[in-house]
Amino acid sequence: MKTIPGLKGAEAPLPATDAQRSGALRARLVRVGRAAREAYLQMFGIPDYERYAAHMAAHHPSDPLLSRREFFARSIDRKYCRNGPRCC
Amino acid sequence: MNKFASIVLWGALAVVGAFAFAALALGRGESVNAAWLVTAALSVYFIAYRFYGKFIAERVLQLDDTRQTPAERHNDGMDYVPTNKWVLYGHHFAAIAGAGPLVGPVLAAQMGYLPGTLWILAGVVVAGAVQDFIVLFASVRRDGKSLGEMIKMELGPVPGSLALVGVLAIMIIILAVLSLVVVKALTASPWGLFTIAATVPIALLMGVYMRIVRPGRVGEASLFGVVLLLASIILGKTVANDPTWGPAFSLTGTQLAWTLILYGAIASSLPVWLMLAPRDYLSTFLKIGTVVALAIGIYVVAPPLSMPQTTRFIDGSGPVFSGTLFPFLFITIACGAVSGFHALISSGTTPKMVERESHMRLIGFGGMLAESFVAIMALSAACVLDPGIYFAMNAPAAVIGTTAANAAQVISGWGFTITPQMIDQTAANIGETTILSRAGGAPTLAVGMAQILAQALGGKTLEAFWYHFAILFEALFILTAVDAGTRVGRFMIQDMLGHVYRPLGNTRFLPANLLGTGLCVAAWGYFLYQGVVDPLGGINTLWQLFGVGNQMLAGIALLLCTSVLVKMKRERYVWVTLVPTAWLLITTLTAGIQKIFHSDPRIGFIALARKFSDAAAQGTVLAPAKSIAEMQRVAFNNYLDAVVCAFFVVLVLAMCVFAAKICMQALRQTQPTAVETPVLARIQGVRV
Repeated sequence: MKTIPGLKGAEAPLPATDAQRSGALRARLVRVGRAAREAYLQMFGIPDYERYAAHMAAHHPSDPLLSRREFFARSIDRKYCRNGPRCC
Repeated sequence: MNKFASIVLWGALAVVGAFAFAALALGRGESVNAAWLVTAALSVYFIAYRFYGKFIAERVLQLDDTRQTPAERHNDGMDYVPTNKWVLYGHHFAAIAGAGPLVGPVLAAQMGYLPGTLWILAGVVVAGAVQDFIVLFASVRRDGKSLGEMIKMELGPVPGSLALVGVLAIMIIILAVLSLVVVKALTASPWGLFTIAATVPIALLMGVYMRIVRPGRVGEASLFGVVLLLASIILGKTVANDPTWGPAFSLTGTQLAWTLILYGAIASSLPVWLMLAPRDYLSTFLKIGTVVALAIGIYVVAPPLSMPQTTRFIDGSGPVFSGTLFPFLFITIACGAVSGFHALISSGTTPKMVERESHMRLIGFGGMLAESFVAIMALSAACVLDPGIYFAMNAPAAVIGTTAANAAQVISGWGFTITPQMIDQTAANIGETTILSRAGGAPTLAVGMAQILAQALGGKTLEAFWYHFAILFEALFILTAVDAGTRVGRFMIQDMLGHVYRPLGNTRFLPANLLGTGLCVAAWGYFLYQGVVDPLGGINTLWQLFGVGNQMLAGIALLLCTSVLVKMKRERYVWVTLVPTAWLLITTLTAGIQKIFHSDPRIGFIALARKFSDAAAQGTVLAPAKSIAEMQRVAFNNYLDAVVCAFFVVLVLAMCVFAAKICMQALRQTQPTAVETPVLARIQGVRV
């Protein structure tokens, strides 16, 4: 971050092409969008199927994966059925 | 340099806070701006969080980020998920903030704005935030165990079972009092009732959409849900003015009570995905949105506080609730200062999502500060109203009568000048026929909010819209609480019945389920009905019963926290929990005993019961009762209230003895004896 382009030739990155720049921008937007979506779901306590699927793929690839519908049904049932009272 | 900047920054904040307090406390004779109240509160919160919160986190609890949290240990992508601390802060806040911080401060406004403000601020820093923080900490260190399980682990099985019975009793009172708030807000209000009724089909539609049409697409369903809700508020006006539909949606108090009881029984028996879940999402969106809007509104409009600093009603003669400032202010404002119910939330979903131990300071301590801020805003909104209007809305009909002329005369006699025209005009502005005796906090807050929001956005023409929006916002999450609370109550009742006769505890056995639901609904329905027909207002009795119960639960939670600290051999810092425990016990035991034994029939349950049963025995009918049978019912209900109150008192005293015994034992040990989950060190720098 601190290197100034052109001052130290060897460390200076090549000027990015427009295509590269818009590609990087898009990737960044996608990342930000995904994080915002995840934050919104967690804040309102909404089950997040994508996160669950990613977790299963990363940690338990051989275990059976619930379908979106099953996952949603199970999360909601568990959240409201025995989870203790809500606030006044 | 950094340290210097920090000193300057916090010093400046302290000066701003002190200045705001000076404006509040010294502004005699002239009205003080609500913005000062909010500023004073915010400075207190920031300073408390930075210094006291940090002290508790680092010195008292010694939070340790190298220990794995339950979310990391059991990460399953579903229940146990390490969550960003700000996101979890929002989630936790949405879970703890309910109708409590909105109702209590509004009722307490009868004593003026200063007593309530001081208790909310002192209470939250010394008691409320500490309780939420340490219960969350204890739960995270015990794999996310619930309050009941932790009491069983640390204090023993008998206190564990006792606490569960106490929680069930408090929940029944909460469900009754919250339903009563809805009844008071919707009686003879076709516009309000239509919008609330419309939430049922809207929620069903959303539920079907999320389950069958597009499984799991909550965002899409919520979007059309919110749009339909807003449409129902607009349509409500047309319905209310319609010659056939208007009267159809205009119900009396008792009709509404039966409707709610029926609703509770049916809603809590439906599958959760059909109504509870979608309605919960809607109410959470609305809750966070409205709280933010109100905060901005108060700063933009900066309305002056019309209520005096203190009123003559600190002597205990108030029309909204009777009893002197000590101890009754401290049980009337429960949520917002300290609430026992939060101990159940802090040991529910939140501990399963904490990513690092150090985050708990923001989530536990900071989350409660945010709830306290909601209470401060509710208090401001109530005190912005003309005091005459405030008392017209909150005093029972037995005191101010049922006509605007009569009410204006009585209230002006108290020194709060008001004309019948002002009362009628206020009702007309919000699109209602009457505002008299709408106790319970919600309508008062709605009028205050409507005035603030209308000044910020839309002007006079939108005041009626904002009023009904505010009523919808409150009723929506109260109804969600009724639904969810009845379900939980049913499980608890079935759990207890299962010890008596095993098949009754089976939650898959339909007759047992129906019995559990029926018992739970009957219990809170009884108190609700009793409150609705109570000519003295109902809120007067039930809210105080709730306050005693809720603060007793906070006392129990803090006793657990104290025992945990002692068992961790951190008795040097035991004053952190012991001071608030002592204060809660002193205020609630005094209030509880006064509610039972006070010789003034306006305060003591037994005195009132005696007064009515004695008169009934002599054959005289005391107003406001109309027959001997009615007199006997008033007497019976007051004896019952005295029993419930006595149960809370005995329960908390018993817990005191248990906790003291455990603490004495732990003090004699040289090693920590707290039952924590064994330490599992996190691999540094690795996100699980």
